[in-house]
Formats: sequence, structure tokens, C-alpha cells
Amino acid sequence: MPREEYQVPTTSGGASAGAMTRGATGGERHDSRAVMTYICGDCGGNVTLSKDALVACPHCAGRVLYKERTKRMVQFEAR
Amino acid sequence: MAPSRHAAPSAEEHLRRNTVGINKETVTNVSSTDFPGHFPGEDHAFSIEQFQSAFSIQFHRNEANDASFSLIGIDASLANAFRRILIAEIPTLAIEDVFIENNTSVIQDEVLAHRLGLIPFNGGREGIHNFLKWYKKPEAGEDPYANSFDWNTVRLELNITCTVNPDAAPTENDPLKAYNHAHVYARDIVFVPTGRQAEHFDGENAIRPVNPDILIAKLRPKQTINLAMHMHKGIGADHSKFSPVATASYRLLPLIHITRPILGADAKKFQKCFPEGVIGLETVTREDVSKPGSGYEGHLGELKAVVKDSMKDTVSREALRHAEFEGKVKLGRRRDHFIFSIESTGQWDSDELFLESVKHLKLKCKKLEQQVINMVQ
Ligand SMILES: [Zn+2]
Repeated sequence: MPREEYQVPTTSGGASAGAMTRGATGGERHDSRAVMTYICGDCGGNVTLSKDALVACPHCAGRVLYKERTKRMVQFEAR
Repeated sequence: MAPSRHAAPSAEEHLRRNTVGINKETVTNVSSTDFPGHFPGEDHAFSIEQFQSAFSIQFHRNEANDASFSLIGIDASLANAFRRILIAEIPTLAIEDVFIENNTSVIQDEVLAHRLGLIPFNGGREGIHNFLKWYKKPEAGEDPYANSFDWNTVRLELNITCTVNPDAAPTENDPLKAYNHAHVYARDIVFVPTGRQAEHFDGENAIRPVNPDILIAKLRPKQTINLAMHMHKGIGADHSKFSPVATASYRLLPLIHITRPILGADAKKFQKCFPEGVIGLETVTREDVSKPGSGYEGHLGELKAVVKDSMKDTVSREALRHAEFEGKVKLGRRRDHFIFSIESTGQWDSDELFLESVKHLKLKCKKLEQQVINMVQ
């Protein structure tokens, strides 16, 4: 139930290093890169976008990109 | 007391009092009247001896997931108490907490958690009924796992990823063949025994879904579900996922009374007004004809309608719609004959559930008795 605000799943640079709060599991799995990874809505491939890049998938030219899900565990009541 | 005060009603009168009348548009005589003071000169005080001698149980069907039996000679208040206890108060084990590490499927986390909660599970009965005890939710601020032990929490895991099936033809259109794990089923849930659970739930006693083919989610390649679950014991009053029965219901025994003969083509039509097997057709015998005033005179050898098995009737009242049967048939239900039907979800056997409901009612009565004793002290 406790759902904190969305946390970027990738740690960018050194800015957010050590910013993982309690309940974090399996975080820090991503490399420290200055770029965000997105998921293509058409082919499901990983897409990294650099500054000023065209918002499109390099594999299939799909223009719908999704943000990655949080890597933290989320608890729910089965009700 | 004068002996006349204990005069028992005749069998006919007894049947009349115990029959709920079912007419074309009304239902009559709906409440029971067998309580003290209702009939002058009759004693209707409850006595356990009298209840025992009048009460009986008949089993019609007894399978693990479906039992049907009649409780005869019991008041609606008691029969209904059993039904309500069956639905809301007998504990079962069900998924209560879902810890989702990852879920990239199209089904949302909370919907997925809800679906998982509704899956009925089975396992070693001794372990579920005796070893596993109640779980108490930790207070706010307390360690969330402070009360989780092997005797009140069962851990399950579901880790599944959909991949492309390399052996499938490139033109394959069926997702089940084109991909591996395109469908997530209840059988993909893995039981992780902790502590002494390894003794109570080993081998064929393992905690497992009752129906392994329940579809939980559908996946496409690269989509993944990765979660752990905690099961706790609970009751249906808290959430219906804990209810041990799919249905627990009763109906009153239908009565069909043919007051005047229904003969020939009418008899065939009359038979069609009821479900199959309720009304039989017999030929009018010499004996029937010889009875003066029976209505059979001069109809020797014709077909007549007789009631074969009124229990199969659905009481649709179809017979009451036709003018040719007017005044020839009376429909009703027996007030003290309850045809119970219990369908277990699988964690208990259906007949065992009824015994458990009796146990629960007995316990409630004992508690009430103690309260009454405390009151008069
Ligand atoms: Zn793409």
C-alpha cells in the first residue's frame, strides 16, 4: 500500500546516488548513465534518447515510447 | 395441567400448517406457527427430545465439491444460520498480500493482485486446519513482518516471462504456439515452504491451486510478472475470497397435490408443465374406477397424471396458468424440509463444511450461554 512517488528507475550521474529510500529492492541495477532508457510501444525494444534526439525507436521507428517501471517492490492487498 | 392442553394436531392439520401455499400470484402461510401460545391448548415448547425424534437428514449427493442433502424437521432460523455460517464464518487460506517486484503485463498491479486473491487453494488438510493459525495484522508503525511466522503465513511466488518460441513457424498466429508463457495460469504459482511448513505441506500436501487452469494474465514477448505473495487465514465476512463455498443455499421441498383427476391429453399437457421426472403418467386401474366419487368413473384405461418426484420441481407455477387445470392442482412447499446444496471451493470437502457450520453454531451458543450466566449472577 505505501506507494511513494515515482522514482526514476535509472540512477543518473552521481546526483541521486544514495537516494534510495527504505523498501528499495534490486535498485542500482542500472548503469550510471546520463541517459534515460525508454521502452518502445511497438517493438518492446529498449530505446535510449540523447539530448535533442528525435523521439522515435531506432529499431522500428515507432514513435510511442514508455517510461520504464520503477524497480522498487510495490505492495498490494489482494482485495 | 389438563391433558387436553397437550393435544397434538392431526397429521392432516400438521401438514396444512407446514405447507407454504403457492398460488398463481400470491404466496400464503409463510411464517411458522409452532411456537408456544399460538394455538390454544397446544404445547409447542422447544424440547431437545422432541427435536431429535422429529429431525432427520437425507443425503442426495455427496461429492467433494458438491453435496446436496435434506434437513427435515428444522426451523428456518436454524437452517439459515447454517447457511450464513457456511458463507461467512468458516475460515480458509487465501492470498492476502502481493509484493510486486515487476509487472510489465497489460494487467495493472492492483487488478492482478485482486485476481490472485480470488484463486482458491488447496493443500494438506491437517496443516491448513490445525497447524495454520490466525494472522494478526501489525499495528501502524510496527515492523510489517513482526507477526509473520511459519504457522500463519504461507509464501508463494510467481515469476514468469514471455519469450518468442524459436521452434514456431514465423507465420504462426496462435500466441500459445508462437510464444512461451503467453498465458499465465494458476499452476505457474510456486509454493515456497518456510520453517515447519516443509513437514505439513510436503509432497502431495503442498499448497497448490484447486484449479490449475485458472487464467491469471496474458503476456507478450519481453513482458514479465515477478512477484511474491503471502497467504493468511480469514473469513468470508471479511472478504468473499475467504468464503469456503462457491454456493451454499437451500430451497424448501416443493409439494404438488393433484386434488381432482387429470386425464388423457390433459395429463400429457400437465406433465409438460413441470421439469422432466416430476409428473408420471399411469393408466387408470379398475380399482380407481370402482371408488365412487373419485372422478375416475368411466375412464378405465385412460392416462392419468401422478406426482412421481416433486423434489425435482422448480415451482415455475406453469400448471396454474392453464384453465383446464384450475381447481385440480395445489402447489406448495414444505416449511420444515430444507434441501441444502453446498459447493465447496476445494479447501474443505462439502459435507465436512456442513459439520463445521454445526460446530460453529454450537460454539456461538456456548458463548451466549456463558453471557446469560454472567447476567444472572
Ligand atoms: Zn520499436
